[in-house]
Amino acid sequence: MQTIDRAAIVRDLQVAVGAGNCIFEPSDLRTYECDGLAGSRVRPAAVVLPSDTAQVAAAVRVARRHGMPIVPRGAGTGLSGGALPVEGCLLVVLSRMNRILEVDFENLRMRVQPGVINLDVTRAIAEAGYYYAPDPSSQSVCSIGGNIAENSGGAHCLKYGFTVNHVVAVTVVLADGEIFEVGSPASDPLGYDLLAAVVGSEGLVGIVTEAVVRILRTPELTRTFFATFPSTDEAGNCVSAIVAAGIVPAAVEMMDTLAIEAIVKATGVDWPLDVGAALLLDVDGTAAEVEHTAAAAVEIAKSAGALDVRMPKDAAERALMWKGRKSAFAAMGRISPNYYVQDGVIPRSEISRVLREIAALSAREGLRVANVFHAGDGNLHPLVLYDARVAGEEHRAEFVGGEILKICVRYGGSITGEHGVGTDKAIYMGEIFNDADLESMNFVRCAFDPARVFNPGKVFPTPRLCGDIPGAYAPHASERHGLADRG
Amino acid sequence: MATIAGTEVGATVAPADLRETSALLTAAAQDGATVSFAGGGTELGFGYPPERVDLLLRTEHLSHVVEYTPSDMVVEVEAGIPLAALQKVLAVEGQRLALDVPHAELASLGGLLACNSYGPRRARFGTLRDLIVGVSLIRADGTRVRGGGKVVKNVAGFDLPKLAVGSLGTLGMIATATFRLHPVPETVALLRVEHCSGSHLRRFVTGMLERRLEPVAMLAVAVGRGYEFLVLFEGFAAGVLEQAERFVALAAGFGLVAEDAADDRTIDILDEEVRTFGDLRLRFAAPPGALEQLEAEALEPLMRRFPAAKLALYPSLGVAFWSGYANDVEAAVAGTLHARAAVERMGGNAVVLDARDPRIRAAVDVYGTLPSSFPLMKRLKERFDPDGRLNRGRFVGGL
Repeated sequence: MQTIDRAAIVRDLQVAVGAGNCIFEPSDLRTYECDGLAGSRVRPAAVVLPSDTAQVAAAVRVARRHGMPIVPRGAGTGLSGGALPVEGCLLVVLSRMNRILEVDFENLRMRVQPGVINLDVTRAIAEAGYYYAPDPSSQSVCSIGGNIAENSGGAHCLKYGFTVNHVVAVTVVLADGEIFEVGSPASDPLGYDLLAAVVGSEGLVGIVTEAVVRILRTPELTRTFFATFPSTDEAGNCVSAIVAAGIVPAAVEMMDTLAIEAIVKATGVDWPLDVGAALLLDVDGTAAEVEHTAAAAVEIAKSAGALDVRMPKDAAERALMWKGRKSAFAAMGRISPNYYVQDGVIPRSEISRVLREIAALSAREGLRVANVFHAGDGNLHPLVLYDARVAGEEHRAEFVGGEILKICVRYGGSITGEHGVGTDKAIYMGEIFNDADLESMNFVRCAFDPARVFNPGKVFPTPRLCGDIPGAYAPHASERHGLADRG
Repeated sequence: MATIAGTEVGATVAPADLRETSALLTAAAQDGATVSFAGGGTELGFGYPPERVDLLLRTEHLSHVVEYTPSDMVVEVEAGIPLAALQKVLAVEGQRLALDVPHAELASLGGLLACNSYGPRRARFGTLRDLIVGVSLIRADGTRVRGGGKVVKNVAGFDLPKLAVGSLGTLGMIATATFRLHPVPETVALLRVEHCSGSHLRRFVTGMLERRLEPVAMLAVAVGRGYEFLVLFEGFAAGVLEQAERFVALAAGFGLVAEDAADDRTIDILDEEVRTFGDLRLRFAAPPGALEQLEAEALEPLMRRFPAAKLALYPSLGVAFWSGYANDVEAAVAGTLHARAAVERMGGNAVVLDARDPRIRAAVDVYGTLPSSFPLMKRLKERFDPDGRLNRGRFVGGL
């Protein structure tokens, strides 16, 4: 497969998307060697930056003709290596397809290209009093196409759901350049829920070139409070007690001592450093309802042992509190030369016990672990701190990260809540799914991409073939050539 | 002899547990037998008549709660458990599955998932697609496989739970499912407004949106030439009462009177009355903003032809349920096709939920125009059920 006609590829791609939308120079390709999982790097054979669906389809057909695997990429902020190039691949970068095509207040829908930045969706409609709900912490830089690939969540998905609950239709380009509309702007599209197969497919089924998303009315009132606790035990119990009282907060975020320290150093928020944990909580809805639930939640926090409960005095202070939370990952640089971001999920009721196990693991391995996470839905983000200059520390950090996932699995949770499996966690898929489970998931992938051209080697722990199905798509002989190494 | 939508059933078995179910499906695979599934049987009329049913698997004994952790607000159940039975278990802990459908005492979760059934509370909570977090399917080859998990937030692997929703048992038998739960509200307020016009409905939807009211459900039932409109608020007393007051004021602004419904269950009773009536039942889904167009171009002509029919609209969702007696078969066929053409022009669809008269089934396709992504659906079906033995011929495009 690697004995390729490089000149022909260059020529064909330039015809497909225009010379100005292609990158072939090794020094320029270096920009695209990795995504947010910066530890892994692979240089793509070529990069294209198409400007519409037809160009994406044309580029895909060129890649197929030349036997190149295809890796889609949005803003490249993903943390699981979903947009990490594979050897010899064509990297299709959607960042230039960044137009908002239609705002439809009548139907509460918005049609966008995949390169539109998450926050720009909300910005376009905020003045009219609407917003787009999924809010990953990277929302000021991550794109809708990447969000769709990863089924991104965010702090407020506790009440409002994930990307999959807010995308109603997509246009997707498949491996042979076919273009399909999946889903519908109307309720109840007919047939299988193919949208559920596309959203969260981590670039394994095709390339989304357009999406219709749902927009929501901004709630009448949002109340926020920030509460500190002696330890993560009390904070965890507080979350459980709030939920048990029938309150569905819009978001509940927890930070431990180390995370607070890093955030304070990085952002200058005046949070106390001598506490064991802090919660940042939003309740939203109609004014009267929110006044009631916010007051009730504060009372619950106090009875759960809160040291201090602060309400922001204005919108600016509230924004600062959230900025503190959302910059937590980047803030780790203030307290550690390097850090490894983990993403695991546990049942909410197990937060205290799991955090204690993580603390014990951290002590045993001699690496600090900061915790900042979506407590309302048990989505942990332990940050394993290490110094890459110290021999063996990076390796140990990865080991600790893996052990944390195993703890999550042991408590009945998942190996990823929002960052995706990608390359980073493919080896852990076997911890929660058996061969038959994975085979069934592979059925879904193969229905879209029988030759496994898109993002080979991701998500599935071992290379999987699509097998032959009577009457189903039969790959051309040249396509079958080299399949074994596409995984 | 048992039949499904007119097709005779070979053998009927009600396996005692999931292991036995798996064994039955494995045996069916070896024999090349076609298999259909039945839960409470409330929606067995949905879909094309199956081409052949060698074996009907009834899930009535698969009715256990597998795992329920109230503090996590998640429950895993076997497919045969009726919705009402599950709600009873959850209510003890002040929780519920946020799903409201007709015949809740009979309808099993497996059947509800397979048909993607919902009720008016969909306006707030979405459909089962938005509530399911895990599934186990028994595949055509008898292998039981899992997708998702028991935590609400989870992006590991392809989303088999959502794929199972609405698949009408054609990808695999839904064996167990795990759902996220919601609290039973402290207070509810149901308000009713009589003598609404179609345009009032749209104005209520936009008026509440503008005022940032957050109704949990809305239902409009055709009465005479107009509608009776119901709106449900849920939450804590302070918030619910305040929203109810603001809604009364909104109605007054339209010159209408909103009153407290004497019985909070009225919304469910009226919904069920419409959706279980007659011998021909249709569901319309249009873009939500096309409500008035849906009403004027699709539903009103149908109601004029069949004045005794019943009609329920979910105004914020662009969804309508129509039920009537198709004594005049020709008129029923013509009326349905006309209404379908209208809603398809809006980018929506019209589905025949049930038609007892085979002449109607022969003349009116169950689903209407195939979606453009149908070739992909076919490929998906071929992967999961290469011999086409599960609910053969029942689903969209004969899948």
